[in-house]
Amino acid sequence: MKCEEFEAIGLDAERDASLSEAERAAARDHASKCSRCAALQDSWQAARVELRALAEATRSAEAPPRVEMRLRQEFRAQYRTSKARRAGLIAAWTLAAAAVLVGVVSWRNWRKSQQEEAAMHLNAPQSVSPHPARDDDGAAKKESLALEATNPRELNPVANGESGTLVAGNDLNDFTLLPGVLPLDTDDAAILRVRMQRGALGALGLPVNEERAGEWIQVDLLVGNDGLPQAVRLSR
Amino acid sequence: MRIAELERDDVLLRRVAKGDEEAFALLYRRHQAALYRFALRMTGNAWAAEEIVQDVFMMLVRDPKKYDIARGTLGAFLYGVARNRVMKHLERLPPEVSLEEKKEDGSGPGIVLQDGFTPGEWAEKREQAELIRAAVLGLPEEFREAVVLCELEELSYEEAAHMAGCPVGTIRSRLHRGRALLLAKLEMLRDLPRRASVMRGTK
Repeated sequence: MKCEEFEAIGLDAERDASLSEAERAAARDHASKCSRCAALQDSWQAARVELRALAEATRSAEAPPRVEMRLRQEFRAQYRTSKARRAGLIAAWTLAAAAVLVGVVSWRNWRKSQQEEAAMHLNAPQSVSPHPARDDDGAAKKESLALEATNPRELNPVANGESGTLVAGNDLNDFTLLPGVLPLDTDDAAILRVRMQRGALGALGLPVNEERAGEWIQVDLLVGNDGLPQAVRLSR
Repeated sequence: MRIAELERDDVLLRRVAKGDEEAFALLYRRHQAALYRFALRMTGNAWAAEEIVQDVFMMLVRDPKKYDIARGTLGAFLYGVARNRVMKHLERLPPEVSLEEKKEDGSGPGIVLQDGFTPGEWAEKREQAELIRAAVLGLPEEFREAVVLCELEELSYEEAAHMAGCPVGTIRSRLHRGRALLLAKLEMLRDLPRRASVMRGTK
């Protein structure tokens, strides 16, 4: 081993695990023969003792407690902020969801009310006197009538299923013109289904069997655009 | 030892990420001393070492996900971060080798007075410690790091190479140069008082 090699690897040969036993032996051999390298090794060993002492002196050194305190404060601040941010985000999303929900419910209600309004328009219940001018037998006609008032051509023949609602068919063939009424254009006419005592038919100019005058019957009245009944039929 | 102290670093770190302050405190107590010692030995300045340790853990507070368990232990990761901070600090500032300042304010590490030493022996020990410390701090950064890791931290060459992020051969060569420089500096520092007294004698 040469002096340069000894300086590079020989000074710490005993500690360097990567060296082979032969290299360690060569380093020991060189130190025993070369006084300069032996002196260098002695100096290094002395320096190492001092380095050990320095290492020992700082072995128990650690960061002062204030560092931990500051870090804990920072930690709390950091996570409090992020917690608050998360809570804010959740609140914002909740509010947005609530707003959407309210919007949807409002829209549905509005739609429902619109539909109901339209249906009421079509199915508006009315108290009808079949013939106000001839309303001599008022008691018989003060029935509460469910009315399906519509253009006969648009009349839906299917009953709408509501209890107590009378629905008239739109077949005009079964109607009997009331006495003294001329056949008219049925475009604007409406069919009213009413319940009345049979005797009330007399007020419309129809013959009535006096024995059965008290019976309740159901009739369809064809009402012209002047509001007066034009024709009548007995509903089934 | 409490059960919590036995928890692995990565488990604690997951708790830290969820805002568990106690887990953070455990991690801090587990690693701070080694990082502080390394920073202190590299910078020779207690304030700088404190600042560096604080910076390292502040990074962990702000972004615990920076550590990737697949890339090694948390200790090695923190050591790497501390090393970068130390190097930046050393780049910014000239090395602090004022021995007198350390003696006066007592902030610098010194020899602990042990039983059996006379005041004269204690003074001599302390002087030797200051000399070696000044010599270490006077080394260029890369050589100083090799000396600190291998001689003061007593890591193997492989461990030191891992910490410094370089091959083992590089550590060995830096250590070789570092030793040579250290011996020269020690020689020079020991000669200073003698030269001074010779100068005073000639006046």
